[in-house]
Amino acid sequence: MQIFNSYKSLFAPIIILLLLSALFLLGLYPDISMILGGIALFLIGMEYMEGGFKAFSGGTLEKVLQKSTNNTPKAITTGFLATALVQSSSLISIIVISFLSAELITLTSAVGVIFGSNIGTTATAWLVSVFGLKIKISVYAMPMIVIGIFIPLFLKSNSWKGIASIFIGLGIIFLGIGYMKEGFETLKEGIHLAQYAMAGYTGIFIYVLVGSIATVVIQSSSATMAIIITALATGQIDYANALALAIGANVGTTVTAVLGALKSNENGKRLAVAHFIFNITTGFIAIVFIYQLADLVDYLAVHVGIGIENYTMKLALFHTIFNIIGVLAVSPFINILVRYLDTLFIPQGVHRGKPKYLDDSMLTLPSTALSAIIMETKHLYENAFEIISHGLNLKQSNIKSSIPLDDVIKDSYSKNAVDIDAFYHHEIKGIYGEIIDFSTRAQSHIDTEDIEVLYSLKLANRDLVEAVKDTKHLQKNLLRYSQSTNTHIKKQYNHIRRDLAELLRTIHTVSITDEEDVILLLLSKAKVHTEKYDILANGTLDKLIRESLINNEMATSLMNDSAYAYAISKNLIAMAEIIFTERSTSATSINEEMAMDAEDVKEILEKKDD
Amino acid sequence: MGIKKFIKKVQHTLGLNNYVIENKKKSLKDLLKKLNERKKIIKKSLKKPLDTKAEKELNEELDIVCLQMKKGKKMLHKLYTEKNKHKTQ
Repeated sequence: MQIFNSYKSLFAPIIILLLLSALFLLGLYPDISMILGGIALFLIGMEYMEGGFKAFSGGTLEKVLQKSTNNTPKAITTGFLATALVQSSSLISIIVISFLSAELITLTSAVGVIFGSNIGTTATAWLVSVFGLKIKISVYAMPMIVIGIFIPLFLKSNSWKGIASIFIGLGIIFLGIGYMKEGFETLKEGIHLAQYAMAGYTGIFIYVLVGSIATVVIQSSSATMAIIITALATGQIDYANALALAIGANVGTTVTAVLGALKSNENGKRLAVAHFIFNITTGFIAIVFIYQLADLVDYLAVHVGIGIENYTMKLALFHTIFNIIGVLAVSPFINILVRYLDTLFIPQGVHRGKPKYLDDSMLTLPSTALSAIIMETKHLYENAFEIISHGLNLKQSNIKSSIPLDDVIKDSYSKNAVDIDAFYHHEIKGIYGEIIDFSTRAQSHIDTEDIEVLYSLKLANRDLVEAVKDTKHLQKNLLRYSQSTNTHIKKQYNHIRRDLAELLRTIHTVSITDEEDVILLLLSKAKVHTEKYDILANGTLDKLIRESLINNEMATSLMNDSAYAYAISKNLIAMAEIIFTERSTSATSINEEMAMDAEDVKEILEKKDD
Repeated sequence: MGIKKFIKKVQHTLGLNNYVIENKKKSLKDLLKKLNERKKIIKKSLKKPLDTKAEKELNEELDIVCLQMKKGKKMLHKLYTEKNKHKTQ
């Protein structure tokens, strides 16, 4: 199974190397040249198929993977079905790593998907042995490619482009298999590889090694399997050695996974270790019980209607069976494995000002990218919460507790003003910039319906940044006047601190609850209070000036600062409405429509005045 | 036929539009049920002797809950009308 991004960087060099070798050998060994060309075509076809499925599913694949992995059996089944369907374990692996990075699934589920994906990847062997060798390539491959090329000329949507790529990919894969088969057939006339067949465990070990090396070189176990099956179909290798080669392909792919994981994030590395342990265990079991497994294949083949002489399909069956046995053998220990993986690759000293959830591998996966942006915005909110609390000279822990608000404002955070600018540059600006940059890059892959969600997330981020900036402006006079000898101005500034502390507590509660009615009620209440506490609107400021309780300088400061406080409240509520409400299709519109608007707030306030 | 048009046609044939409406209706009904429970609790609390501040807060909450319920019922009514419209089409 091919895993992780390094494949992408090695893909072009491998293809170039294969094609150059094919060209070089064209004159001397046209049969080998044909086999190498076939392998190159097979790999190109796989790449087309993967790209096609990505575009065609338009986030559906991610949604299915995310929602059907909540327990290990489901995760294994989903991994199997998804890989068998899209014919790309690397695509599934990338999605799983992205999910892990965005904390959308647990490591246990991710490992389950990877196990299932190992079974799913055996579908390629079935595809090659059932269709690839039976279909008249010249009849079907070319029309498929032609259809694939023509579709985008008439149908411009991403989904159709995806379907076109799948057609082209499948056509090229069949073409590749055709060339490989033809190459092996011609080769038989010159060199008969089967004469090097070896019996017993020596032969098994040598062919396992050959299969492993081939997979490491080609970087794809699917391609190795295709070579083994075509070679077997043309009688170039014998059945027993083909079984050992198939085990080798599985073992070899672990090297690819480990090499790929060197460049991956810690989640990718953990999954690579899980993959390594799984494949080595499976390989070991398969080698030890190879004869018993071969007997089992013979027994099952008769029952599923595979002829006793149909070695290619029997090989596909063997490949599937030993991967299933591997899953059955390793799955009971999945929790122990996950506990072990959790101790590996722990990042040293995570920088608070750096994004935690954004990863470029998610950019082409719309639904995961959106989830990652939501998670990162929540991360930004946590940092903003701290800055705003400290800017108001309040302790975060007090706000998050149930201490009476009057006591919260008495317990100051510091005697000196906190440097909000420094905080902003260290903990906000970087993350904000990365979120906007990531969102902009993700936009081109996101569906039209989700663009609106993406836009609202950008707004939520802007709201947070604005709230922090306004806190900076507010802080200037807040410290000065909240300790003033003029009791009236002191009272007003402490009111501002108290009201904002109440709002921060409300938003904190909203951030940790799942109860829809609680969220709705708290945010509605916050909206009403924001309007009610606005001293410009409620006449408090007029009264203070009229009765000369504060001087002109105090009045202007209070007027400006209450406007800042009002803006902070508005921005924080708007942000909370976006990131703390359920964003599923059916629920979103309900939350949006149920949210209180200005008219509703007015209605409540008028009722109170009655 | 564009793929979107095709999907819409399939959705219509299989009655999947109603499925979306049904989902919305279910979420809304659940929410209304919860709000109603909350309304009952607030009303019960208001019957007990309370200080002015607490009473004011509870009354405010009650007003908000009532307003949200009113909005929810209006939305639910709209969804029923929409569903009937789909049925008759």
